[in-house]
Amino acid sequence: MKKNRSIKKYTVFWPIVFLSPFTIFFFAFNLFPILYSFYMSFLNWNGYSEKTVVGFDNYKAIFTVDTTFWKSLLNTLRIGIVGFPIAILLGLFFAVLLSNLKKLKNLFQTVNFLPYITTPVAIGMMFVFVFEQHIGVLNKVLTFFGADAINFIGSTTYAPYVISFLIIWKCTGYYMAMYLAGITSISEDLYEAAKIDGANAWHTFSKITVPLLKPVTVFLIITSAIYALQLFDEPNLLFTNQSSSVVGGPGQTCLTLVWNFYNQAFGANPRMGYASALSCVLFLIIVIVSLIGLRLMNGKEKDL
Amino acid sequence: MKRKLSSVCLHVFLILISLASLIPFWFMFSMSTYKSENIFKNTPLLPSNYLAENIKTIFASNFVKSYGNSFFISSVSMVFCVLVCAMVGYAMNVYDFRFKKAFYTFIMLTMMVPSQIGVIGYMIEMRNISMNNTLWPMIFIWMANGFGAFWMVSFIKGALPFELVESARIDGANEIRIFAKIVTPCIRPGLLTLSLLIFLWSWNSYMIPLVFVNKQDNYTIPIFIKSLASAYRTDYGAQLTGLTLATIPLLLLFIIGSKSFIRGLTSGAVKG
Repeated sequence: MKKNRSIKKYTVFWPIVFLSPFTIFFFAFNLFPILYSFYMSFLNWNGYSEKTVVGFDNYKAIFTVDTTFWKSLLNTLRIGIVGFPIAILLGLFFAVLLSNLKKLKNLFQTVNFLPYITTPVAIGMMFVFVFEQHIGVLNKVLTFFGADAINFIGSTTYAPYVISFLIIWKCTGYYMAMYLAGITSISEDLYEAAKIDGANAWHTFSKITVPLLKPVTVFLIITSAIYALQLFDEPNLLFTNQSSSVVGGPGQTCLTLVWNFYNQAFGANPRMGYASALSCVLFLIIVIVSLIGLRLMNGKEKDL
Repeated sequence: MKRKLSSVCLHVFLILISLASLIPFWFMFSMSTYKSENIFKNTPLLPSNYLAENIKTIFASNFVKSYGNSFFISSVSMVFCVLVCAMVGYAMNVYDFRFKKAFYTFIMLTMMVPSQIGVIGYMIEMRNISMNNTLWPMIFIWMANGFGAFWMVSFIKGALPFELVESARIDGANEIRIFAKIVTPCIRPGLLTLSLLIFLWSWNSYMIPLVFVNKQDNYTIPIFIKSLASAYRTDYGAQLTGLTLATIPLLLLFIIGSKSFIRGLTSGAVKG
């Protein structure tokens, strides 16, 4: 009897004590808001007046009537598809170069990591001073060489790619560190064996390094896809400096999914119900991407 | 000889790459030392002598208050989050209970939930418990962090020998005591890494404060940076000084803890 009680202590009582704070906080502050947003997505409400139940109208509006959702989805994809693959490839390339170093490795890693940890808001504002037409450093350089100043931030052609550039600048160092950690975990013997077999640098890279780094690559693709879907801070700040009324940058070419959602919910013309529906759609997209990711990485998680 | 040459090339190349990372920071700093009218006369490669004046301007705004707020929010979030996550990590490694597998899946799922998505519901919830004019909404959101829990589970798995817990139990220590006195020192590097990460993430968080901060007294650093653009519409020197003061201390903190930091961030993809 006593033994049974003492076992119960370790299989019921203490696990509950140690796991309940996390569970309670998660339900209270993370899950409940999402469920509440889900409920709100069936309402028509501007934040203060009377709520009315509208069923699936908000969802219908998102996919059929309203073009901003599709536009913001396309914008996000365009910014992401240009930015992230370049950042990932550069990260891989620099990591391979850096892995050859003996000293200074940590120094280079730390320096290139700085953009990643800088407040995204600050990055947005810093790059205003690089890309702006009249005061930007880049245009100073262009005009110095006799070219015309380009209004990067104000033009519908360039603005989305300025954000892609911010992504590359910000993330390359992080991806490099990820790949470097991956390369460090590859056994030295493999490279020795390849050397003995007379493989050149390119063969070693393409036949050993890249395949063995596949888990890292998969992880980076998934996390960067999720990051892209949530892009908000940098574009939002990049275009605040000019005139606060601009939502989405020039011609709304930089209106990302989350910015659109934020603007519908808290902008000049709040549509809480509609914005909630947007957030639910976004949530669904992110969960699907994550599940695909988990599936792909499954082999790795199983042995935990 | 050939080897040496390629090594030099490699270093030069890597230095150029690093410069690309650093140049925006340099311009931010060097522009912040200019008087606004003079910034754009030339390309501000070298610092000027107006930094003290700019700092005075910034300190006259609510910069100090914003710093204090951000520091308070990040510290409290960090302490709560790390404690809660370490408890999860301990329980998942030390106990055998019925729904352990299910709970592990639950942790994996919590990692996927992006907190920005529920912000409308969160705002209404906070309004209903009259918290929407305080700093607490920006803290609560960090209390149950999926990545943190996941990270503590895998870290404790590798760092805590179960025999240690068992022998303490035989000595008659209860679980809270074991957790506080024996486990915590064992997993200190893991706690440190997670603390740095949570501090950084909550410090950088932008959208949640954007929704909840509606008076100057509650400004956090990202909101303060946003406000610089309109508060000093024409005083670019002051804007950049604000930006510099807001970003550089955190970067220094990072450089000090960079090893632990990078290990934490890279652990998601590479175990061990």
